Amino acid sequence: MKERSQSDKENETDERIKELVLARIDAQVPSNLRLFIGSSNGMNKEQIMEHVRKGDAVGKQIIQMHINFMKAVVKGEVTNLINSVQDE
Amino acid sequence: MNKGLIITLPQWDNVTEYLSQFSNLIIKEAEDKGIKTKTLNGKSVNKPNFEKVIKNLNYNFVVFNGHGSPSCIKGHKDEIIIEAGDNEDLLKGRIVYARACEAGAMLGKLCVKDDDNGCFIGYNLPFVFWADKTWDSVPQKDETARLFLEPSNMVPVSLIKGNNTYEAHKNSKMHILKNIKREIKKNTINTPMIIEGLLNNYYGQVLLGNEKAYL
Repeated sequence: MKERSQSDKENETDERIKELVLARIDAQVPSNLRLFIGSSNGMNKEQIMEHVRKGDAVGKQIIQMHINFMKAVVKGEVTNLINSVQDE
Repeated sequence: MNKGLIITLPQWDNVTEYLSQFSNLIIKEAEDKGIKTKTLNGKSVNKPNFEKVIKNLNYNFVVFNGHGSPSCIKGHKDEIIIEAGDNEDLLKGRIVYARACEAGAMLGKLCVKDDDNGCFIGYNLPFVFWADKTWDSVPQKDETARLFLEPSNMVPVSLIKGNNTYEAHKNSKMHILKNIKREIKKNTINTPMIIEGLLNNYYGQVLLGNEKAYL
């Protein structure tokens, strides 16, 4: 029973992350751009969102990329990296 | 081992078309520096051809463009040309740059295992790029794709210019950060997704093996 409850929590978290990623893509992917990642052959916004909704291999790679980015932002790593580059 | 470059240029889908077209800059740099170059193009990017060429020419530098996974690198129509546990020994002792997804996660490690000379630079995450569909038929004019593919070109270009593997790896990653900074300053509608993709490649790019190898 305890394991089941833990599993439910994990599923709920996964679904929330998926919703967050879908919201980011919907708001931030312009119509002219296509994403190339993994085995995909170039995806527009709708195709990207479809992979994320399905949770297939490409969808998981996209979700992981968003998670990595958000973690880096929260930890301040992005700011530190950018500050390490001298102005041109 | 002989000084020279073997580069795979599959062109059977949009991804490989982009990677191969942007590789022209690598080939030009090698020609300018007088480095012998063997290109494997289109349908000829298959396992028998690759094995024949690398055994016959025995060049010390190999650049792969194509799809990949933690255990393999693919060529024309996704035919596997190098696979962990099968023929990765062919890469031992050489400098390898793999512009392919995730090959640095496992294959790359095997390539440099028990070998003090060779070096594998690749990605332990999926290699990512965004492209502008306006430039489908002329990828080299795609300034969005250039933001991703030029820094990755920096690995082989730096090596050809005489830098060692560590410097080439570092130069490439620094180029990614400069592009991120430029993109932030531009602040266009494309900026958030471009930064996220560039950062993915920055974190994913790994150097395995000899950091002081030269061509």
